[in-house]
Amino acid sequence: MKTTKAPAVSFTGAVKTFGEVRAVDGLDLEIGAGETVALLGRNGAGKSTAIALLLGLDEPDEGHVELFGTAPQTAVLAGRVGAMLQEGRAVPRVTVAELVGFVAGRYPEPMAVPEALRLAGIEELAGRRVDKLSGGQTQRVRFALALAGNPALIVLDEPTAALDVEARHAFWASMRAYAQRGHTVLFSTHYLEEADANADRIVMIDHGRVVADGSGEELRRAGGGSLVCFDLAGRGTEGLALLPGVTTVEVRGDRARLRTEDSDATVMALAAMDAVRNLEVSPASLDDAFMALTADPRDLERV
Amino acid sequence: MWDYLRLEVKRTLRDMRFVLGTVAMPVLMYLLFTNLGTDDGTWKTASMVGMAAYGALGAAMNTAGGVAEDRAIGWLRQLRITPMTPRQGVTARALTGAVTVLPAIAAVMLAGGLVNGVRMDAWKWPVIAVLLWLGSLPFTMLGLGNGYRMTSQAMGGVNMLSYLGLAVLGGLWFPVQLFPEWLQHVSAFTPTNRFAQIGRSVADGHAPSLVALGVLTGWLLVFGSYAVVSYRKAARTI
Repeated sequence: MKTTKAPAVSFTGAVKTFGEVRAVDGLDLEIGAGETVALLGRNGAGKSTAIALLLGLDEPDEGHVELFGTAPQTAVLAGRVGAMLQEGRAVPRVTVAELVGFVAGRYPEPMAVPEALRLAGIEELAGRRVDKLSGGQTQRVRFALALAGNPALIVLDEPTAALDVEARHAFWASMRAYAQRGHTVLFSTHYLEEADANADRIVMIDHGRVVADGSGEELRRAGGGSLVCFDLAGRGTEGLALLPGVTTVEVRGDRARLRTEDSDATVMALAAMDAVRNLEVSPASLDDAFMALTADPRDLERV
Repeated sequence: MWDYLRLEVKRTLRDMRFVLGTVAMPVLMYLLFTNLGTDDGTWKTASMVGMAAYGALGAAMNTAGGVAEDRAIGWLRQLRITPMTPRQGVTARALTGAVTVLPAIAAVMLAGGLVNGVRMDAWKWPVIAVLLWLGSLPFTMLGLGNGYRMTSQAMGGVNMLSYLGLAVLGGLWFPVQLFPEWLQHVSAFTPTNRFAQIGRSVADGHAPSLVALGVLTGWLLVFGSYAVVSYRKAARTI
């Protein structure tokens, strides 16, 4: 079978426009079976549109989207995909076990309902009505619906939006337990820490295309090495952008923040300028990397 | 598909608003309307069929509320990413509407037989029930179409209007004979009027007229197409 070799997910030059907006704009992405991948981007970066294309809920205007080497609808009808969509709310007048059992029953090789509930951490809610649950509990019911069919790929669109910290931790523990069974997991988020802590691989998207792809560590490096901060003590910022290694300059209050590819050279140059006041050198955070990688190129030229 | 049908029927019957509005209400109205004025056996029978039809109409139109709600909360979208085909989904939805019509018909006919002492040949009871059930199909289709076409808010108004308008105009609440003559002619072309008529003709002991069946079949085609078009349009955005 050729399909067993095919990647779980593949986007090839996918484009989706809504009127003037190019929500997905030439997206190329391949996800292998068994990977846990975070789709990271700010609101409006095209994450949800990409997921809609992936699930066959929408069709690309250009390019191709395939799941397991077939059209998304084919993969969905074959029961290879489970998903937790962003805007879902509680389904009224059914119990948790009824709802999860119903969805599981659509799939060719589903999980037993108690197992799905256990994985989602909601065993004790089996007999409760879905519309009587708290927000966090509802979210986990929707997670149970995504995995109930025991699909090879699950897709989670901003699964922890609107969850409190504790519920969020519990949710990710459930998700990792599912991923450990060898399933492919793709989730979208705009929380960097979540992507870093829960995915093997982070795909950053911005303006509908991939801007970076790699582990958290790789992205931190790609996002511009380190950060050198010091007090300006009244002096201007002219010339700072031209110092060796510096890629961007940012001023907060009286403090300059230089992003640099070579912190040693930058610090030496600052010392030569007699500008070392309260100097601090730190590795760029994923946040910084994200800002550097998704910033509009025109923004970088303003300094 | 059958699992989905079972799930949706369960959900509908657990809806207190549905049970009160389409089962309890018609029974109450029937008992009220037939026991207020002079005691007349024929009116009790005619009104029983009329109110059973009215209840069936309400239950059929209720399909709209269910569909619009499921669309608003994202449940229909969630179903689209299960291996159930859209065709199975929409068919089961239509069948749900058809099944949930039965309690309404049964409740009013039971009230007629047990409370109001309506007496008919034994064979007429099941025949009337089945005819009313089949006759409610056009309205299920209308409800389905409204549900797929409109948002919850807009749907509530439009659906209520179709529901009450068709019920009153068709003579389910008051006998058509009370209408001015021109309105009686309009009434003859409403699906509701013909719907009640097929039940009444059996109660009176003759077969339903071909004209009545023809008018109803026509409306079934009209509302059925409306449902299909609405569904197709909605499917992209669900």
